[in-house]
Amino acid sequence: MGALGQFFHAIPFDLIIIQTVNGIVTGMILALIASGLTLIFGIMDVVNFAHGELFMLGAYIGFVVFVTTGSFWLALIGASLIVAILGAAMQIVALRPLIGRDPLNTILATFGISLVLQNYALWQFGPVVRKIPEPISSQFTLFYLQYPWYRILITVLSAAIIGGFWLYLKYGKLGVWIRATAQDRVMAQAMGIPVPWVYTGVFAIGAAMAAASGVLFAPMVGVSHTMGLDWVLKAFIVVVVGGMGNLAGSIVAAIFISLLEAYATIWVDPSQAVIVSFVVLILTLLFRPTGLFVATPR
Amino acid sequence: MTEKWKEEKWAEDIWYSGKVTRRRVIGWGGGAIGAMMLVPAPWRAAFGAEKAYKIGSEQPLSGAGAAGGKTAVVGLQMAADRINKNGGINGRPVELDIVDDESSPAVARQKTEKLVQEDNIDAHVGGFLSNICLACMPVWEDAKIINMISVCLDTTLTTTHCNRYSFRTYDYAPAQAVAFAPTLTKMGKKWHIAFADYSWGQSTRDAYIAHIKENGGEVVGTTGIPLGTPDMTPFLSKISGDFDGLFGIFFGKDGVTLVTQAYDLGLTKKYKFAGDGSISESTNLIAIGNKIDGFTAINRYIPVFQGPLDTPYHHAWFNEAKERLAKIDPSGPLPDKYVQSNFEALNALKIGMEKSKFQTRADTMKLVEALEGLELKAGPDFPQGDKTIRKEDHQAFPQEFIFTVSGGTYHLIETVPGAKTVVPPACNFSA
Repeated sequence: MGALGQFFHAIPFDLIIIQTVNGIVTGMILALIASGLTLIFGIMDVVNFAHGELFMLGAYIGFVVFVTTGSFWLALIGASLIVAILGAAMQIVALRPLIGRDPLNTILATFGISLVLQNYALWQFGPVVRKIPEPISSQFTLFYLQYPWYRILITVLSAAIIGGFWLYLKYGKLGVWIRATAQDRVMAQAMGIPVPWVYTGVFAIGAAMAAASGVLFAPMVGVSHTMGLDWVLKAFIVVVVGGMGNLAGSIVAAIFISLLEAYATIWVDPSQAVIVSFVVLILTLLFRPTGLFVATPR
Repeated sequence: MTEKWKEEKWAEDIWYSGKVTRRRVIGWGGGAIGAMMLVPAPWRAAFGAEKAYKIGSEQPLSGAGAAGGKTAVVGLQMAADRINKNGGINGRPVELDIVDDESSPAVARQKTEKLVQEDNIDAHVGGFLSNICLACMPVWEDAKIINMISVCLDTTLTTTHCNRYSFRTYDYAPAQAVAFAPTLTKMGKKWHIAFADYSWGQSTRDAYIAHIKENGGEVVGTTGIPLGTPDMTPFLSKISGDFDGLFGIFFGKDGVTLVTQAYDLGLTKKYKFAGDGSISESTNLIAIGNKIDGFTAINRYIPVFQGPLDTPYHHAWFNEAKERLAKIDPSGPLPDKYVQSNFEALNALKIGMEKSKFQTRADTMKLVEALEGLELKAGPDFPQGDKTIRKEDHQAFPQEFIFTVSGGTYHLIETVPGAKTVVPPACNFSA
């Protein structure tokens, strides 16, 4: 047997398939969070530091709706709608007055909002971690593991939400307005598109996507006031690697980075595998600063 | 036109005598502030003109450790209120100066400097996250201020990083490992450890590797998972092979994530499941639900009235703590070890201050000597049980509780007396 044969023999194929599934599942959750973040940046030029807190708020509201109705699906829909309304209010009150100002103003504003929301959640709900039970609790055998069907459901739902949003962006009236505003906001306004309301709508959609991902992810980790912090850093990496404002790029980058990390755990210590995403981030910033999936201007 | 009447002679008295002018606002405002400063605070009324002891406390009230920090403060406040109600320390009241370290070592260092230099505290009781305790230890030592560590579990705080001014009135990982390893090796000989990959998790892992081996067992693999990892599945998926039990070392919401995701992957059915009691603190149990059923753990405190915890003073302490916790969390969590160890750390300090007749920071060395070897007797001050602060390294060895969790409640299976958890000191101040 040659060296190549030995190499292939040494590859643990069961682990590769398991980590592929893990990478895709994690990647789709990340894609759902990152798509809201990149949408808000792409249209509004706002780096939303409060995105993780909208994710957390979605989970808490989902918890309240679940306790009231006993339905996971109502929790998912209710939390998305309520957080969309809150997001719209937040944009009107805190961000709309800052349109046209230095981007640092919006960064500071969203950072302030994130602190307020985080401490509000701790004050309102207290330190006890809350639970939203998963709608399906069965598992299937994946080599030596029992793999939960719920993780597959999350992947499908995330893909459905992102796909639905993409279709709306392409064919819906607000979608056309959003695309027009993204291309040229001055011309869009001249053509009668209410740009400030488009901004509000975009922020509401981004907030709803964060909330939906919060509810979907809550059964796997519980609901706590810091749950958004853990995801938002990675979501920012994904948005930078995918290209700020590039929706498709962010989705591909989310899956790409998650798969890389998952594969890395096979050969290196899992705690070192998380370094992979930072390495990709640094390389992207060095060689393709506009993102892996956006052409770099020369 | 409607205001014209104000200028007429007959209206001058009515209008100008009662008019709110800026000068009057400033005058009355200044008077009010002065009066507020002069009005005695409730404790001042009780203690006359005695100056309060200022006890600093660094706690994570925001950021990753905030949930635990909030319950820790409940224990501290309970102890301070009780001390003041019973006449204070040396006839002087206690005033808490609680600062938020924001779960960040860098912020904690700044706030520690502020407590020392600006707030001029007499002593410190606090510290929650081990990396923060480690970062601040040198500041307390340089300032020669007593540091009663109240939650941090990192082993090295009282071993390689020990100093004369820091004390720990509760357990640490080597003592827990000594107490728990015989039970673990009865459950199974081969173990895999999954741990929070930072100072506390690493030192606890090392302690269990050593003591499982000492008891005839073996740790066949370890998996470090960074703090705050939201999806542990890629890490947990790698855990497989021929071993008997999975041992977890996590706290806070990472404990929830571990149990939930290990259960979802079938690991907790395939292997025996045990770990550090921090995983199953009462603030986590609601979120974990029945996925933790069968989990065996060790902790210095569990909220039950079984065995040595079925005492009148524990009942009284438990009820008051529960009532106070309900005010910060509507779900009404049960008291946890963070409430307990903060409560007891301040009470230990009180006994030391009374014994040494501590008045100012100039008396710190006398206080150090009073705390060294101090026996803390079970009772209203120490509802967890007896313990002694060892003179050599300032480490206490309380009794430990080995328990299982099922149906959302704790079931005590064994109490290990403090004397049976003792490990030799790694530093020696008495030499």
